[in-house]
Parts: sequence; structure tokens; C-alpha cells
Amino acid sequence: MNLKKINIAHVRLISLYWSRYTVRSGSGLVYLMIALVFGLSVAHIIIMPVERLMALQKKQMGQENPQLIRKTIVDIGQPIIQFVLRIKSFEQVTKEAASLQPRLPNDTSNTSQSGNNTSGFDPWTNFLIEKKPALLSVIFLILIFGMPFVISFLAFNQISGDVQNHGLRYLLLRTERCNIFFGRFIGTALFSTAVIAMIVATITFYLGMKTRLYPAPDLAIWAVQGFLALAILMVPYIAVCSLISASVNSPFLSLVLAKVVIAGVLLMAILGGFAWKPAKYILYALPWGWQNNLLHPATVHWLGAVFASFAYTAFFLTLGYIRFETRDL
Amino acid sequence: MNEEKRPGGLTALAVINFIFSGWGLIGLLGLAAFFAFVGKIPTDDMQEAQKAQMEAFQNMGLPVFIFIFALSLVSSVLLLLAGIGYLKQKKFLGRTIGNIYAVVNIISSVVSGILFAPALGGGFNIGNIIGLIYPVLTLILLNTTFKEDLTN
Repeated sequence: MNLKKINIAHVRLISLYWSRYTVRSGSGLVYLMIALVFGLSVAHIIIMPVERLMALQKKQMGQENPQLIRKTIVDIGQPIIQFVLRIKSFEQVTKEAASLQPRLPNDTSNTSQSGNNTSGFDPWTNFLIEKKPALLSVIFLILIFGMPFVISFLAFNQISGDVQNHGLRYLLLRTERCNIFFGRFIGTALFSTAVIAMIVATITFYLGMKTRLYPAPDLAIWAVQGFLALAILMVPYIAVCSLISASVNSPFLSLVLAKVVIAGVLLMAILGGFAWKPAKYILYALPWGWQNNLLHPATVHWLGAVFASFAYTAFFLTLGYIRFETRDL
Repeated sequence: MNEEKRPGGLTALAVINFIFSGWGLIGLLGLAAFFAFVGKIPTDDMQEAQKAQMEAFQNMGLPVFIFIFALSLVSSVLLLLAGIGYLKQKKFLGRTIGNIYAVVNIISSVVSGILFAPALGGGFNIGNIIGLIYPVLTLILLNTTFKEDLTN
């Protein structure tokens, strides 16, 4: 390791240039498209039924009742969130869903019952769907699950493309390997953060302007928290891609490996867990096992998740840097 | 002239153009077939939302259908031409046609939002915002990032 040669001005220059160049090179453009379409489609799928429900309510009752709509969202969202947070199993969730009677949005007889139900939630579910805007919470949970699959489209080609075409040799005349490695990593993280900010801002603005189900300050505060959670979560996954990109010569192989590693860890943990229980701990090879804690109400939990993100990042970056520093270019 | 220097992003933009153009043209065939048979589809057994959607289609009228069809056709052809222009790094075929596509598509999204019934995705909704992503990106990228690359 030759970290003494790190030059902050060089790292800054390389990161800013890289965050702009990434669109020009194609990977940033593809990521931008996929991330925006994915993020907004998730929001569309979640928000559209609520909008239909509001329209139906207006048609039947002559006016909108946001409180009743919020109650319905809580009733529907509660089992899903408990399953996602692994508080309840799939069987428990389906049993509860089957026992729920279908009801119209103006059916006030069930609202008191649902109010009683919500008081029995575990604190995490209660925090996500009662204390915070539930629609935004559900969207954040899906994005936290889905964005790691998308990030490799942006981060796969930090090093490998330039190794393949020997372009790095010309850059190394002017700066050190450590500046290139960390500069490109920071540039990728900056770009990812900007895209996430765009997605979260669009969804929050839409929810605030169109549905008007939640007070604007609540939406804004939760949006900032969700944005920070997503932005921080992407950093260790970008570091994994840095490690892979520094280890192979072909950008295509780097993309395939990044996809296989990120999805493979999750798949192996789930499928392996069926055959041998301890295999589920494979999840912790990447942030999969604890990433939902970034939205936890307890400070110890979310702070722990933030520290874990940075610890994983440091680990993967160190491995990547050692490989990059010692390899033939 | 300088095709070897074509940035990867411009190639990606061209590929996306071809994909969207293909989808658009296939969608046009589907739209025409659907409009031809829409009056014959029974709506009695449908759910309320589906029924509203089908009735909105049936009440759309020929002029609106022709307007949508023509706009979609123009968008698909412009996408195809602009894609070829990006690959050849042509100023007119790439940058100008690409800009025209973006503007036409943004305007058509706004007009569709006004003309369409809410059951057909009209009005201000997040689906329309998704539809605006690509034309807005095209407009921004052609006039900033790839401005100097489309000069042939």
C-alpha cells in the first residue's frame, strides 16, 4: 500500500472529471436511464392504486378523506412491510391477508378495527407506516432492495476498460495509482448520489403535489432520511464493483462478475438456507443482511448500519486498492 | 470522419433510440388493431376500472386516435433517424433530428396528458413523468455532453 502518495487535489480533479465522463462513456447514461425508470416505476406501481382508491372514494362519497386512505394504506402495507423486514414469515403474512375482508374505502365500520390493529405493530413497522409517510416508506424499502442490482451498471467500468486499452499508462505519467483508484471511486459515488437525489426529489414532489396525503414537512424530512439511507447504501456496493473492476481486464467480464456477486450472495443465502440453515448468514458477505436497518427508528440500529456500510466499503476498497497497486497495467 | 472517436455514451444513446423506435413501431400496429376492435369488446363482465378504461377508449373518437397514431409514428421515425445520425456523428441527422424528436415528444406528452381521460393515463401522473425521462435526457445530452461530437 502506498497511501502516502495520495494527493487530495488529484483525487478531487479525477473524481469530478470521472463523474462527468461517466455519462460520456455510456455506463453512466445507461445507469441514469435504468435507475430513473426503475425508481419512478416503483413509485408508479405503489402510488397508482392509491390514486385509484382516492378517485373511487371521491366518486362514492363526493369528497376525499385522506385519513381513511392512510388507514387503508396502513392495513395493506403492514403485512408486506413485516415480511420485508423479516418480522413475519411468508406463511404468516398470507394467512393474515386471507383473513382480511375486502372493504370499500368508505366502509367506516372497519376503521376502528384497523386502528386497534395498528397499535399492535412492532416498533419498526409502526415507525415506517404510522409515524412516517407509509407510501414513501414502502417505496424506500423496495429501492433499498432493488438499487444494489442497478448500481453495477454504473460502477463496473471504473478501472477495467482503461486496463484493457492500456489508457491508464498515459494517466500514470501525471498521477499515482492511488489517486486514480480513489478518485474514480468517489466520482462514481458522487454520480450515484446525484441520481438518487433526482429520483427521491421527483417522487417526493409528486406525492406532495398530487396525492396530498401527508403534510409537506413530514414528507420532506422522511425524503431526506430515505435519500441518505440509499446514498450511503450504494457506497459499499460501488466498492465491491471497484474491487472487481480492478481485478479483471475486460469491462464486460467486470459487469457480469459484479452482477453475479451482488445477486449471487442474495440467491445463495436464500436457496442455501433451505438446505442448511446457517447458509443464510452468507447474506452478511454484502450489506444484504442489515441494509434495511438504515431505515430503523432506533439510533443504535441505523447508526450501526451506517458504520457497517463504511466498514464494508473500507474492506472492499482496501482489497481493490492492493490489487490495483500491485497489478500489471 | 472521426467515427473512431465516437464516445460510448453516444453509441448507447443510438442503441436506446433503435430499441425505443422498434417498440414504438410495434406499438403502433397494436394500437391500430386495438382501435379497430375496441367497439366490439363487451364490457359487461369487466371490473369498474377496466370498464372505465375501455369506455374511455371507445369514446376517444377517430380524430384523437389519428393524432396519437401520427405523433407516435413521427416519434418512432425521428428516433430511428436520430439513432443513425448519432452513429455517424452527423450534425443534422444526429443533433438536429434528435432535438426535434425530444421537443416533439415532450409536447406530445403534455398534449396527451391534456387530451386523454384519466382512465387512459391522462392528467398529471407519474407514468407521464417516466415517459418524459428519455426525451429530456436526449435534449440535455445533445446540447451539452455530446454537442461537440455531432459535427460531421
